[in-house]
Amino acid sequence: MAAAARFLLRGAGSKASIANVNIGDQSLFGITLLRTSPNCSSQTKTQRRNAAHFTYYPDPVPTEYGPTTKMNLFQSVTSALDNTLASDPTAVIFGEDVAFGGVFRCTVGLRDKYGKDRVFNTPLCEQGIVGFGIGAAVAGATAIAEIQFADYIYPAFDQIVNEAAKYRYRSGNLFDCGNLTIRAPWGCVGHGSLYHSQSPEAFFAHCPGIKVVIPRGPVQCKGLLLSCIADQNPCIFFEPKILYRAAVEQVPTEAYTIPLSQAEVIQEGSDVTLVAWGTQIHVLREVANMAQEKLGVSCELIDLQTILPWDTETVCKSVAKTGRLLISHEAPITGGFAAEISSTVQEECFLNLEAPIARVCGYDTPFPHIFEPFYIPDKWKCFEAVKKLISY
Amino acid sequence: MYSSMSMCMNKTCNLEILGLCFTVSINMRCICPSVIFGEDVAFGGVFRCTVGLRDKYGKDRVFNTPLCEQGIVGFGIGAAVAGATAIAEIQFADYIYPAFDQIVNEAAKYRYRSGNLFDCGNLTIRAPWGCVGHGSLYHSQSPEAFFAHCPGIKVVIPRGPVQCKGLLLSCIADQNPCIFFEPKILYRAAVEQVPTEAYTIPLSQAEVIQEGSDVTLVAWGTQIHVLREVANMAQEKLGVSCELIDLQTILPWDTETVCKSVAKTGRLLISHEAPITGGFAAEISSTVQEECFLNLEAPIARVCGYDTPFPHIFEPFYIPDKWKCFEAVKKLISY
Repeated sequence: MAAAARFLLRGAGSKASIANVNIGDQSLFGITLLRTSPNCSSQTKTQRRNAAHFTYYPDPVPTEYGPTTKMNLFQSVTSALDNTLASDPTAVIFGEDVAFGGVFRCTVGLRDKYGKDRVFNTPLCEQGIVGFGIGAAVAGATAIAEIQFADYIYPAFDQIVNEAAKYRYRSGNLFDCGNLTIRAPWGCVGHGSLYHSQSPEAFFAHCPGIKVVIPRGPVQCKGLLLSCIADQNPCIFFEPKILYRAAVEQVPTEAYTIPLSQAEVIQEGSDVTLVAWGTQIHVLREVANMAQEKLGVSCELIDLQTILPWDTETVCKSVAKTGRLLISHEAPITGGFAAEISSTVQEECFLNLEAPIARVCGYDTPFPHIFEPFYIPDKWKCFEAVKKLISY
Repeated sequence: MYSSMSMCMNKTCNLEILGLCFTVSINMRCICPSVIFGEDVAFGGVFRCTVGLRDKYGKDRVFNTPLCEQGIVGFGIGAAVAGATAIAEIQFADYIYPAFDQIVNEAAKYRYRSGNLFDCGNLTIRAPWGCVGHGSLYHSQSPEAFFAHCPGIKVVIPRGPVQCKGLLLSCIADQNPCIFFEPKILYRAAVEQVPTEAYTIPLSQAEVIQEGSDVTLVAWGTQIHVLREVANMAQEKLGVSCELIDLQTILPWDTETVCKSVAKTGRLLISHEAPITGGFAAEISSTVQEECFLNLEAPIARVCGYDTPFPHIFEPFYIPDKWKCFEAVKKLISY
């Protein structure tokens, strides 16, 4: 009887309705198990977000890298990894659950194609994943480590910051782990909450010796990932998880690289410079359109792409032209990477600035369980900031 | 070059070490379930911060941990949640990174994720911090900027014994997990008259150590003493009056005091040993340029460590010494 009562209590809250469970103040046993308000029904659909906070703007089809195929972001990752495993016999991919294809399907098919000694699972131990990766890289393998979510990268923080980043320096260039690349899904996704939404790039930006790269879409993703793999420094490659399926583009099937530490001016403008990376580029693209339509303001949009080392020249040249700068990222504002960009730009472009450099970022809280649309720096907040910049 | 007087001076406390001992002694008398743990704390600690405490209070209150920073902090979080005043020691700040996940993903988010049902506010983490002349890559780091990007914790750095004891007691009392970095180069070098009784110095309150009208200098920890000398040099050689501010609490930092000062002087120099890119000077600089945009007479200067690991050799050339800071002051004045 008690078990049945427990079952009913569990059932009352779930979506699946059980035939003879009464909602509200009646119960099978004559006692009130669950008093619910009239609006609260176990039939209520789970709240589902039907719209993302951004519109995805695909890149134009690249013509300089050969034939292209329609791919989404995770497929572009698979393609890059496939190219790498094919051309580099020392390349290995490892991480939690990569063998079956990965929780985001980034490694689907690779184990079957290249064998279990090249694509393999690791224990649930990020410190070990990166530590092993460093060792493999030092030994000469092209080591591509996957961290299942960027939120889980912190157990590997010591390995990355104290070991990988300093490996070459501390041995006077006798040894290095430049063959190491770490990939991790990154950024908000609508339902990720504290531990599946984080954007930790700012933590790593303060660590000399590594590179940090974040693409905005499939074409950039594949090119930048291949650059990271080729780069002779340990690289961290963050992949915006909300774009894994949402971002679809025509992506070259052959291997190609997009240079690191080169920001891209996606859209030229004359009044305000907008800087972002990853998903936020698409938010700012919409903001730039809104600014053009509603305010007649011409925005120059820059995708930083490489966070460390970042392309100071492109950004400063742009601000010298426009005089106004807005930087936006999902990560909390205090100590976020916008602070670094802001302070460098105000040093370089002090006399050009017409208004204070604006940072539109996440609040100084953990990434929230709920009300995510209110936490993230959405297009409305960015648009308000643009208005303030213009009218300063 | 370095001294200050304090209220009740019955005893000359030789530096931060005794400051800490007294701190902890008093703490243990008044606040019952407090425990101190870390690597080698039982015999007194590699910097002698916990000498005598185990004999005085017993081995169930002052005890060693395994060589496992993740475990030290993880255990500390658990002890704090259970109600103990947990004071964890990380042997060097350079070793704090294995505990990074525990601090950033667990301790900092504990209260938030439980909707204030639970918290680990009783946790304080102490670690020796900063350059020491011979520390090299792994005994010289200043990791405050990594933690500044993490909402939910407090980060505090004293400049001397009097501040150290007061700030540490505030951290211990504070109902949030706190990280307290102790400048190791000052452990013996810094000697002051320190009150023997318990006292607190408020967190998140920067201190204007020296008032001035031409340039604002901001730093924390050891660098305060470097900038004090720079301020003197500026006065003598350039006739420039510098306002020196000790930030003390890095997170959450006292924006008001700093911005008020820059509104007055129009020039700001921030200095820290940690690498410049992504260092805490960036946060201070970007906030101040937002708040004091129209007051600024010159670009905000950051004089920091270079973007390399802390070097094996040539340390005097790496650190932001008084000459580099003085040059920066000259540039600020003549902009």
